[in-house]
Amino acid sequence: MSHVQARTLSDLQPGAEAVVTEILATGKIRHRLLEMGFIRGARIRVEKLAPMGDPMELVIKGYHLSLRREEGQCILVSEET
Amino acid sequence: MTTLALAGNPNCGKTTIFNALTGSRHHVGNWPGVTVERRSGTFETPQGTVEVVDLPGTYSLSARSEDERIAAVFVADPSVDVIVNVVDASNLERNFYLTTQLLELGRPMVFVLNMMDDAEEKGLKIDVPALERLLGGPVVPTVGNREEGILNLKDAILKVAGASAAKLAAVNYGPDMEGEIQKIVQEILRDEELAQAQPPRRLALQLLESVPHALELVERSHARKAIGAQVKASLAFLEPHLGSDGSTLLAEGRYGFVHGLVEEVVQHTGRKHADITGRLDSLLTHRYLGIPIFIAIMIGVYTVTFVVGKYPQDWIAAAFGWLHGYASAHLPAGELSSLLVDGIIPGVGAVIVFVPVIMLLMGCIAFLEDTGYMARAAFIMDRLMHLMGLHGKSFIPLIMGTGCNVPAVQATRTIEAREDRFITILVAPLISCSARLQIYIVIAGTFFRPVQAAFAILAMHFLGFFLAMAMGKLLRLSLFRGENAPFVMELPPYRLPVLKSTMIHMWEKGSVFLNRAGTVILAGSTLVWFLSHYPGIANASWTAELHSQHAAVRALNLPEADREVRLAALDRAHESRVVNSSLAARFGKVLQPTLAPILDPYHTRPEAWKDTVALTAGFVAKEIVVSTMAVIHQAQGGEGDEASALQEALKQRSGLTPLTALAFMVFTLIYTPCLGTVGMIMKETRSFLWAGFTIVYGSGLAWFMAWLTVVGGHLLGYV
Repeated sequence: MSHVQARTLSDLQPGAEAVVTEILATGKIRHRLLEMGFIRGARIRVEKLAPMGDPMELVIKGYHLSLRREEGQCILVSEET
Repeated sequence: MTTLALAGNPNCGKTTIFNALTGSRHHVGNWPGVTVERRSGTFETPQGTVEVVDLPGTYSLSARSEDERIAAVFVADPSVDVIVNVVDASNLERNFYLTTQLLELGRPMVFVLNMMDDAEEKGLKIDVPALERLLGGPVVPTVGNREEGILNLKDAILKVAGASAAKLAAVNYGPDMEGEIQKIVQEILRDEELAQAQPPRRLALQLLESVPHALELVERSHARKAIGAQVKASLAFLEPHLGSDGSTLLAEGRYGFVHGLVEEVVQHTGRKHADITGRLDSLLTHRYLGIPIFIAIMIGVYTVTFVVGKYPQDWIAAAFGWLHGYASAHLPAGELSSLLVDGIIPGVGAVIVFVPVIMLLMGCIAFLEDTGYMARAAFIMDRLMHLMGLHGKSFIPLIMGTGCNVPAVQATRTIEAREDRFITILVAPLISCSARLQIYIVIAGTFFRPVQAAFAILAMHFLGFFLAMAMGKLLRLSLFRGENAPFVMELPPYRLPVLKSTMIHMWEKGSVFLNRAGTVILAGSTLVWFLSHYPGIANASWTAELHSQHAAVRALNLPEADREVRLAALDRAHESRVVNSSLAARFGKVLQPTLAPILDPYHTRPEAWKDTVALTAGFVAKEIVVSTMAVIHQAQGGEGDEASALQEALKQRSGLTPLTALAFMVFTLIYTPCLGTVGMIMKETRSFLWAGFTIVYGSGLAWFMAWLTVVGGHLLGYV
């Protein structure tokens, strides 16, 4: 699989939309992310950052979710242009 | 009796369904061996009693957290007749993920589409008959907080419970995966016992996901080698072939199934209502306004809990004070009376006095939780809390600890991950509470000038927070090392809480406290009464002496007011004599050398042991330090003004200097959680060890910090 615009979720700015391409995390975090809907092809929209800049809020599978940016770094996405 | 398990995601309204089903007939306990709350209740039907067990809300059954393990084990238990899967109708896609795992169990199931009103608001139309056909079981739409659809749900449960095995839907994971699942199932079938423990297909799926619980199960089987080899071979085939690992492939399969299901049964009417959650969030988690609003809400919660809660606390204290006075006036002086008057009555009072603040704080927290704001609070504070090795949700318990540590420890219930919760519990006692404030006021007021005193008191609060941060980080790096629990947290839609649920919740928290922590506190305070009154109270000649002194004063025929003052002075002297010769005092004298470097660095204070006795008594409740000091220093209150009399006595006789007084304050801040907090920690961690740990590390840290204060102060030229 080729990632034309491979970036991590944490690189996205509020308002950006993207599609999950791969989860790099392992262990507990990986499973948790999968269960919460971070599967290949899932659409994500970044809503906002918390007032102190971390964590971030995003919309996936029609619901709102927050995760820390260090966790977002484990999620590869390709941005919709 | 029919048993049903209520399973569902967090925030799907499972608890309102539980309350609607069982009414007030329910019981709160703990799941065996863990700290997760277990709620169960019953309801009556023409066919007999039905028991409802509310499982912890989980997003999955893969048994990777404590909650998930409990849910996964219980739904597979043979005693469960029906699984009721509650889903949030306004968010089917994620909620059905858990459903796909529950379907694998092959148990009779009922599906509850809860919060149908929210789904309609969102413009979603759900084809219920089609959903029933596709899932293979009854689907009941409900609105839990209005108790709509509950009768239909009860009917559906009874129908399913009586019926034979249901024809439930199963996820098809595609030909490659299905082929491998079949191969693993074949190997599992070699061990009949294993195959009967749970459906072989479910076990095979869990093995492909390397669920720890499933791997352990197979380890105990005689077919473990064959099964293990097949799982390994299957993964080796699948992973390169399908481009990802087993867990990902299965998650994709499940979400694929759910997506198809939702496409089939949900219609978007296009009639979209205002997005209330979005609008509220644009304010409540606003970049600049979010934090001020959060602080305002915290002030509100604090006020309700500790300012409003002070009234019932004062009434309770007054009632017990009256009872104490009445009993001591009407009972003959003696050991048994003292046990009742000085031991049990204040002990019971010390327990009950916590109930109002516990109920109010838990009510506020339930309110924040039910509205959905709690997740936002964690979202806002997580950055700060993460720095100290904690979770965003640790902030509220810690800040409430400044009022009282006891409800603060209980408030950690909102933190899901065990590690985060335990660290928060263990550092919470370092937060300076209002009881400690009373000690600071007396000590600082005696030894410092007013402005200095205010600074010293403020410094204690900051020191407490700083130490909580440092210890949090330290615990994270030592005892709770290992993987950080992921901060992947749902921000649920804002909802109006149901008053009934909040009331039930408050009632439960209050009664659970009385049952569990209450007994520990009562036993502890009786023990401390014993230690601080024996053997002196049993000394007949002292008692006789007191009586004859009383008689002598009465014989003087003084004016009544004068006589009362004299009698009170005699009582106080007697009390002082008893306490100063008690086991606690002896213990204090024995301990004194260990505290000498901080409280008496130049060996100039013959009365330093009295501090130790006061601190020992303060274990029951920190405010007792002040009243004990008044007793042992024989502070004579002129017009009942005990505090200023004590300050006078401390200044004249105690020999404390401003520096050692500061060290004393530092020591009181940290040295040990009070008995109430220890009782609560024991209840919340279900472990003597953790409770003991907080006492031991607290005392060690207190000594060290107080010693640093003395040494540092000395180097700076203070004495």
